[in-house]
Amino acid sequence: MNEPDIHNEKPAVALPWYRQRLLLLVVGSVIIALLLVVIAMAIYVSSGAAQLDISRPGYQSVQDQVDTTTFESFPSTGSVDTETIDDFLELYDKQTGRVDSNDVFSEDALADKALGIDAP
Amino acid sequence: MRAERDNKRTMKVLMKSLAIVVAVVAFFAIVPVQAQSQTMTDEHVERIKSNCPVALATLGRIHANDLPQFINSNQTYFSVGDKMMARLNSRLSLNSYDASQLVKTASEFNEALRTFRDIYKTYDNTMSELVHLNCQRTPVTFYDQVANARQQRGEVHETVVRLESLIKQYREQVEDFKEQHLGEETAE
Repeated sequence: MNEPDIHNEKPAVALPWYRQRLLLLVVGSVIIALLLVVIAMAIYVSSGAAQLDISRPGYQSVQDQVDTTTFESFPSTGSVDTETIDDFLELYDKQTGRVDSNDVFSEDALADKALGIDAP
Repeated sequence: MRAERDNKRTMKVLMKSLAIVVAVVAFFAIVPVQAQSQTMTDEHVERIKSNCPVALATLGRIHANDLPQFINSNQTYFSVGDKMMARLNSRLSLNSYDASQLVKTASEFNEALRTFRDIYKTYDNTMSELVHLNCQRTPVTFYDQVANARQQRGEVHETVVRLESLIKQYREQVEDFKEQHLGEETAE
C-alpha cells in the first residue's frame, strides 16, 4: 500500500573526473601539504636555523668539530663583594677563551692566489 | 584634431622620458659589471676556466669548515652575553650599584651579535650559490662571485673583531667597577 515510488528517483549519473570527491580530497591534501612544506622551508631559512643545521648534506664530516660542552652560568642573585667579582672574572676568562678569533673568517682564505684564479 | 595632436605629442614626450630613464638605469647597472670584466684578459679567463674545478673543491671545504666555526662562535658569544654579562648586570642592579656602563657595553655586544648572525647568513648564502656555479661555462660570473664572497667574509671577520673588542672592554669595565665600588673593601 505505502510502497515507495521508486519510479520517480532520478537515475545515477557518473560525475566527470574533475568533480569526483575522492580526487578533490587527494589533490587538496597534496596542495595543502606542499603549501605547508613551502612555509616551513621559508621559516627554516629566514630564521637562520639553516645556518646552524649540521645535518645538511655535505656537513657530516664536520659534525665532530662542534663544541657540545655546556656553558656555565654566573648566578644573577646574591651579594656583591670583591670575591664575587673575582669569581666572575675567572669564569669570564674561562668561557671567553673558548673561541680563538685571531684569524677567524679571514679574507685571505678566498684570495685569488689561494684559489689559483689570479691573473697570470 | 588638435586634441588628438596634443595627446600624440604628450605620448612622445612620455616615451622619450621613459627611454632616458631606462638608459640611465641600464648604464649604472651594467657599468660596474663591465668595469670588472674589461680588466680581465683572455689568459686570465682561461686560467680561471682551467683552475676552477680545484678552486671549487677548496671553496667547498672552506664553506664546510666555516659552519662549525660559526656554530661554536655563535654559541659562545650568545652565552657570554646571556649567561655572563646580563647576569652580572642584573646582580649589580639588584644590589643597587650603578652598572650603566656595563649595561651599555652588553647592549652593544648583543647588537654586534645580531649583526654577526645577519652578515654570516648573507655570506653563507653567497657561498652556497658559489659552490654550485658552473665556473667553466661562466668564469667571469664565478670570479665576480668569489670577490663578493671575499668581501662578505671580511665583514664577518670585522664583526668578530668587534665582538672580541667588546668582550675585552666589558672585562676592563668590571675591573674598573671593582676598583671604584669595592676598592675600600679590598684595602680593608
